[in-house]
Amino acid sequence: MSNITAYKCKSCGLIMYPYHDRCLNCKKREFEEIEPSNNGKLLTFTIIEQLPWGMDERGRILGVVEFDNGVKALGLIDVEQPKLEMKLKRGWGTVREIGGVKVKGLIFEKA
Amino acid sequence: MRPVFVAGAGMIPFERQDENTLGDILAGAGLAALDDVDLGKHEVGAVYLGNMASGLFNHQVSVASALVDRLALIPAAAERIENGPASGGSAVKNGVLAVASGYYDVVLVVGGEKMRDVIGPKATDIVAAMTHPHAEYIYGLTLPAMAGMFTRLYMEKYGVTREHLAMVAIKNQENGITNPYAHIQMKITMEGILEHPQSHINSPIIADPLHLYDCCPVSDGGAAVVLVSEEIAKTLKKPMVQIAGFGQATDTHTLAEREDPTELKAVRLAAVQAFSRAGLKPKDIDVAELHDAFTILEIAESEQAGFFKMGEGAKAVERGDTRIGGKLPINPSGGLKARGHPVGATGVAQIVDLVWQLRGEAGENQVEGAKNGFSLNFGGFGNNVLAFVLRRIS
Repeated sequence: MSNITAYKCKSCGLIMYPYHDRCLNCKKREFEEIEPSNNGKLLTFTIIEQLPWGMDERGRILGVVEFDNGVKALGLIDVEQPKLEMKLKRGWGTVREIGGVKVKGLIFEKA
Repeated sequence: MRPVFVAGAGMIPFERQDENTLGDILAGAGLAALDDVDLGKHEVGAVYLGNMASGLFNHQVSVASALVDRLALIPAAAERIENGPASGGSAVKNGVLAVASGYYDVVLVVGGEKMRDVIGPKATDIVAAMTHPHAEYIYGLTLPAMAGMFTRLYMEKYGVTREHLAMVAIKNQENGITNPYAHIQMKITMEGILEHPQSHINSPIIADPLHLYDCCPVSDGGAAVVLVSEEIAKTLKKPMVQIAGFGQATDTHTLAEREDPTELKAVRLAAVQAFSRAGLKPKDIDVAELHDAFTILEIAESEQAGFFKMGEGAKAVERGDTRIGGKLPINPSGGLKARGHPVGATGVAQIVDLVWQLRGEAGENQVEGAKNGFSLNFGGFGNNVLAFVLRRIS
């Protein structure tokens, strides 16, 4: 499944997402591209009732997920009653339409 | 480096200013500061303008050049400083460096924003443009949403409750009632925003667990200060208030990449630098203006800047320590919560409010005998933060 690419520093092993030109820890510039694990846990979340211009919906849930291999990323949480530490599996789909273009991103469901 | 003093300070009311253009707001603030002090033969050598997004809110750029033209300050050097919601703080910092270095003797710093030229959801989108373009923005992440995620973790880790958050809102709105420059001048109660079964109508959810009264308003407004060298300050008929130290630090762009997302590292580092440069400690501070764009931030910043131990900030609010008359009054102006948050203006307005406090000119919101003040201007979601320590010289 095509989705985000994370980066593991070849020098110190720090895992980063999104991309940085230099490692946030050791400042080296060589990285191994890695894919997040299929599953992870929900670190925190919010339910947004006031979304930005162009998003006509309420109750969108966004959260930060830590994948089993250490990658951390924000995504859309497609779960009715989210709880901290909840196990989730990653998916990929349209998360927003910007200027008429459908933009894809991470969508998490209950594992 | 030379000591830097605030000779003039001024503000225009923060509110919805439909009758005024951005240019009117910036010029009004600049004049308020210039009118506050008779500079005699001394001319303004440079202007620093804190403004986040005039191009997006008002379809106007090169606003610093327009400002010197309106204020007849030509040929003073002029530029706009953009650092998100910390644009004002960054403008003050640049003004301090300009005087401290000896390059300029008199500098005018203006902060201003006119956000209400666009409708609310559009303003939310413009402010959200500071999030990471493809790791955050595409999901519809807003600044209140970032604060919501932060709040959930902070509540879980430190036992902060919605009552604590409401206490911050109630205190700051109470302070706002007697601040003639405050956008929100309305008393609120625990019953009205939290306890009554119908309170959710008054204070609906914005980004759970944050409700309407946990968030600052979207405001228009401006503030300004005149900074001078010590040599000039001594010749002016004004109380001498020194910018004794500033600090600035950055953190990761995304919240997700922070090792401990409840730690506001840039707040801590900026405060440490500011105190170190000023030669003062948190216990020496008599009054603080913190960046309470969301109620949780006043509590978290009060801890991470060193005023309270981690987890003790909410208890301090509960005890009344942060009220006017308490051990450390925080946001006697009403803070962003009540004074308002025209993003580029806030960092400058905090300095203006501290100057008024240290001069004894803060009216009904005066903290008696205040000699040392602290301000914190929080950019992004804590990824670019400025702290200032001000001191009245007897």
